[in-house]
This record gives sequence, structure tokens and C-alpha cells, in this order.
Amino acid sequence: MRFGFLAPLVLLLVLWEGVVRAFDVSPRVFPGVEAVALAGLDSIRDGSLPRHVAGSFARVVVGTVLALVTAIPLGVAMGVSPAVSSFFTPLLRFFSVLAGIAWIPIATLWFGYGFGAITFVIFNAVFFVVTYNTLLGVASIPLPLRHAAAALGAGRWAMLTQVLLPGALPNIVTGIRTGLGFAWRGLIAAEMIATNVGLGYMLFLARDFYRTEVIVFGMIVIGVLWLLIDRLLLAPLERATIERWGMVRPA
Amino acid sequence: MNLILKVWGFYARSAALRSIAPFIPVIALWAIVAESGMFPRVFFPGPAEVVSSFGSLVYKGILPEYLEDSVVRLAVGAAAGLALGIPLGVLVGLSSRAHAMLWPALLFFQAIGDIAWLPILLIWFGFGLTTVTFVIVYTVLFPVVLNTVLGVLSVPIVMHRAAQSLGASHLRIVWEVVLPGAMPNIITGVRNGLGYGWRALIAAEMIVGTSGIGFLMFDARRAGSVVEILLGMIVLGLLWYVVDDWVLVPIERVTVQRWGLVTRCG
Repeated sequence: MRFGFLAPLVLLLVLWEGVVRAFDVSPRVFPGVEAVALAGLDSIRDGSLPRHVAGSFARVVVGTVLALVTAIPLGVAMGVSPAVSSFFTPLLRFFSVLAGIAWIPIATLWFGYGFGAITFVIFNAVFFVVTYNTLLGVASIPLPLRHAAAALGAGRWAMLTQVLLPGALPNIVTGIRTGLGFAWRGLIAAEMIATNVGLGYMLFLARDFYRTEVIVFGMIVIGVLWLLIDRLLLAPLERATIERWGMVRPA
Repeated sequence: MNLILKVWGFYARSAALRSIAPFIPVIALWAIVAESGMFPRVFFPGPAEVVSSFGSLVYKGILPEYLEDSVVRLAVGAAAGLALGIPLGVLVGLSSRAHAMLWPALLFFQAIGDIAWLPILLIWFGFGLTTVTFVIVYTVLFPVVLNTVLGVLSVPIVMHRAAQSLGASHLRIVWEVVLPGAMPNIITGVRNGLGYGWRALIAAEMIVGTSGIGFLMFDARRAGSVVEILLGMIVLGLLWYVVDDWVLVPIERVTVQRWGLVTRCG
């Protein structure tokens, strides 16, 4: 039953192959299942798929880690004071609206085509969304809780690690999930425009040669990778924090 | 001291001022950094240049035209996405058979992501409006469907039964029980979908590019004009901020409150 979800996907494969055969679709329009599978095997054998996936992942990891390391402390610092947080909210909203793709043109001008520009796009897709959500999370901690902790003699460090961070964690995790969603799309778009390695580039290069089987294979890889990231990393993280903190709504 | 308090009180009460004021120091800082010559002027123009390029692009009529193109594309795509997404979501939410059949496929297609479709769409439809519209519809569709399904499933089964035992027809149950019950989720889906759709539009315009704000920015990049890129970013940010703040957030607040999902506190 655990793999029950596979049945509809198998059906989809059968349907796809059936349509391609029945209507004799030209491989330049849409490839058959077999061609895609062969293209996949080929790209694994000649090492191009691992290279592109590794290239994309390196950018996502570097950009995301840099963003988290800077965004969470900044968000906490701004969220602590109601005056400061209400001052910065419009700014952060403005920049999270722009997050990701809109930075591609200027990032490529500043950093040139390549690793720097794309990592920058990912960085700011994650950075602003996470900062904004962290700020919201910290600002939404009821003041009585903070006063209580202070009255019980919590120092700055204890306040940070035992009240502010745990209280803001559900929001932070939501921010990470949203930010990564934007970053992943930004990554694919940026790679189509500005690089010579990565999944987006693989797709766009195949388009130049009308190799639809490579394109479709690439799309499947992108979909599967995102599902894996989302299901194995983000969703459990979110579930764990929200359950652990019991979706506390202060009464 | 009293004066400061008064000024602060006025500031805190005026919503418009509160959303504009934070940008003043940022713009000032931007102007100072640009003036200081820390970065080459070509790569880092000041606010004055951006304003004057705004003036000249509006005067030439390029900016209004591109802006209109982008907004119309988003509106058409979003309308189509909603018209397809909400009924599909209700269907998948109501019928467990449709759910078992379609849910995994929906999740998978959502994961592929709009922009990954661009290369094959370019082969199918070429560089043009069809490609861009397809991408937007696709992008808006999935968040709307997935959230509608969640919303429909969140309506307690007793509500269905109560309506049914009071003699409501299937159609009436959908219209008066299921849709209103799912409304908060649907609105969230619309907001997410538009947020993603907006980004997809920009990316598609950059890559497919014949007109629109995304094209304006990417064309400026080709010409090496940082001023116009910055202008494009500011227009994008402002436009979306306005749509989100004045349209989507109020709708969300109204439905969520109307349905009493949030116990307002403090």
C-alpha cells in the first residue's frame, strides 16, 4: 500500500506511450517512453547527468546555507523589538516580492555568467523570505512569555535559545520551504540563461538540437529531485516543528 | 521628548506613511553609495538616474506598453488557471476515485515546475505569446488545485450529511457547503499561485522575450544598462506589492475572518 501512489504514475506512462504510438507523434514534438529512458541511460553513462545535477546542487546548497546563516540572526534581531520589526516589515515584503528570478539580469551583470550569479539569485530568493518569516515568527511570540522568561532570570542567551528561536521556529521552517521553492524555480530559469552546467542548461541545450527526449528526461529529473527535497527534507522538518510546537495559538 | 512622542504617534497611526517611510533611508543609502564611487557608476547607478530613465521610458511609451502586456498576460493566465483549477480541485476533493487517480500525478506535475516546461514549449509553440500564457496557466493551476483539494477535504463529512438530510441536491451541496467551506484554502491557493505565476511570467519574458517587464529588464541587460534593469525591478516590486497588499491580503483576511478560522488575539 505504501507504493499505491505509483499506480497512477504507471498509468500515466502507459497513456503517454499509447498516445505517442496511436497518433504516430513525431519525436521532434514528443518522444516515446523508450527514447526518454535511453536518453536517461545515455546521460548517466557519459557522466553528463551527474555533472549537471552536481552543478545545480552545489549552487543550491551554497546559496541556501549562506542565506540561512545570515537571514535567521538578522530576522531574530529585527523581530525582538516591535518598533524595529514594524519598521522593517514593508522593506522585507518588498524585497521578498522581488526574490529570485527578478535578480537574474542584474546578477549576471554584476557577477558575470556562471556560478556567482546563480548562487546570488538563490541566496536572495531564500534570504529575504526567511528573514521576513523569522521576523514575523519572533514578533508573534506573546510579550508575556518573554517577560515571564525575563522575570525567571533568563539571560540574553537563554532568552534567545529557549524562547525566541523555538517560538519562531515554525515560521522559520515555513520561510525555508517557501524560499527554497522560489530558489529552485529561480535556479532552473537562471541556468537556462546564464551558465554552461546544470539542469536548466541541460534542458535548454537540448532544445537547440530539438532533442525532446533529453528535455522530457530533464523535466522528470527536475520533478523527482524537487519531490525528494520536499518530501524527505522540508515536509518532515515542517511537520516535526509544527507538531512539536503543537501549532500553538496563544489564547 | 514630547515632540518625539507626538511624531512617533502620528507615524504609527498613518498606514501609508508606515509603509513608505522605511524606504527613505534605503534610498538615501543607495544614493550615498552610488555617489561615493565605491562601485563603478555604470554598474551601480544612483536613484536619480533611475528616476530620469523612468521619465524617459514613460515618455516614449515603452514602459506603459510593456507593463500592460505583462499585466494582461498575468490576468489572462490567472483567470484560465482559476477557471480550470477550482472545478478540478473540487472534483478531486469530492471523489475518492478521482483523488486516487489524479493526486500523485498532480503532485508530480507541480514538482516539475513551470519554468522547466519552457524548452519543450518553445519547440511546440515557438517564441511567442502561446508559450508565455501556457507557462502562467500551468503555474497558477497547481497551487489552486492542490489547495482547493485540501479545502474541500477539510469540510467535515457531517456537514455534507446534514445538508443532504435536509434535502439539498448534489449541486447545492457543492455550491453552499463545499465551496464556502473550502474558500479560505482556495484564496490561499490563489495567492500562492499568483505569486508563482508572477515569477514565472518574468522568467518566461526574459527567455522568450518579445515584450513585457521581464523582457525590458533582459533587453537592458544585453545593452548593459543597469539603470533600466533597476527600474524594471522597482516597477515589478511595487506592482506586486500593491496587488498583494490591496487586493489579495484583504480578500484573504476577509474570508479567513468571516469563516472564523483565526481567533484574533492582542
